[in-house]
Amino acid sequence: MAAAVSGLPDVSDRELIEGVARVVAVEGGVAWLEPEQTTACGGCHASATCGAKPGSARLVARRFAMANDHDFQVGERIVVGVAEDTLRRASLTAYGLPLAFMLVAGVTAQKLGGGDLGAAAATLSGLAVGLGVVRFKSLRQTKRGELAPHYLRRASGHDAECGVDRS
Amino acid sequence: MQDIILLIVGAALVNNVILARFLGLCSFMGVTTRVDTAIGMGAACTFVITVSSMGDWALERFLLEPYHLGYLRTVTFILVIAAAVQFTEATFRKFSPALFKLLGIYLPLITTNCAVLGVTLLLVEGKYGFMDSTLFAFASSLGYSLVMVLFAGLRERVALADVPRLFAGPPIGFITASLLALAFMGFSGMGAK
Repeated sequence: MAAAVSGLPDVSDRELIEGVARVVAVEGGVAWLEPEQTTACGGCHASATCGAKPGSARLVARRFAMANDHDFQVGERIVVGVAEDTLRRASLTAYGLPLAFMLVAGVTAQKLGGGDLGAAAATLSGLAVGLGVVRFKSLRQTKRGELAPHYLRRASGHDAECGVDRS
Repeated sequence: MQDIILLIVGAALVNNVILARFLGLCSFMGVTTRVDTAIGMGAACTFVITVSSMGDWALERFLLEPYHLGYLRTVTFILVIAAAVQFTEATFRKFSPALFKLLGIYLPLITTNCAVLGVTLLLVEGKYGFMDSTLFAFASSLGYSLVMVLFAGLRERVALADVPRLFAGPPIGFITASLLALAFMGFSGMGAK
C-alpha cells in the first residue's frame, strides 16, 4: 500500500464512489483504515439478517493505508472515495482479462482438434496466463496509485446513518 | 464459428438468465442502484459462473453421469460454486491485494446467487461438450451482466424523475423491469437455441 501514501493522481474533477472507513491504527505518517461493515448493495433494510454481510475477518483483510495528512486519530470515521472509472476498469481488468485469455485459448484448442480434454487443458492454461497478466497490470496500477482510495472528509451525521453516502 | 455465435446469442439474449428464466432476481433488484456496482457484480458473476461451469462439467462427465449419482448434482454443484468463489477470492488476495480490496465486496454475494446454480444446472440439460458448456455459461452470465447494467442505468435515470409517491422506490423499479423484459421478448423470434 505504499502507493496509497504518496504520488496519488488528482481525482478532484472525477465522479467518486464514497464509503466510510474507521481509523484502526496510526503509525508515524501512515493511518490504517478499515472499511465499515455494510451490505454490498448498501440499500437493503434487512442488513442485520443478511447472510452476505462481510464478517470481521473480511474487513481486516480489506484494511488499507493512507497518508496521515489530516491528523487522523484512532477510532475516527472518515469518508474515502474511489473514482467511478477506476472501479469500472478494475472490474474489467480483474475478471475480463482472465476470461478473455481462457476462452480464446479454449476455442483455439478445440478448433485445432484438441477435443474436450485438450480444450480443458488450454482453457486452464489461458486462465493461468490471464491471471499473470492481471497481476502485472494491477502492480503497475498500484504503483501509480490508481487503485487507492482518497480522503474526502470526516464522516458527518449523514454518513453515520447508513455507511454509504447517496448524494 | 456460426454455431458459437448462435450459442452466445441464444444464451445471452434469447434465453436471458434474468428476463427469460427469472434467475438472479435478488441481485437484479438489490445491486442495481448504481451502474458501477452493477458492472462490478456482473463482472464478478461472469467470472465465477464461467469458472464453476468448467468444474461442474468435469464432475458431471466423469463422476455423476457414469456412476448414476444424479441425485447428488445440486449439492455437488453448490460445492463447486463455493469453491470457485473461494478460489477467486484467494487468487486475487494473493496476486493483486489492491484489486481484492477494491472488488472483494461482491464475491460473498455470488455464493448465494441462484443464477450461478441455475446456469450450471442448465448445462446438464443441454448435454454440451466442454467448450460449448463453457461458452454457454460465459454467454449466459454476459446476458446477466448486460441486463444488470441496463437496469442500473434506467434506475439511475428514474431516480432523478418526478415519480408519484405511491410508485416511488421498488414499485417503479418493477415496472421498469417489466418494460425491459418486454423489450427482451423481441429477441425470442430470432430462433437461436
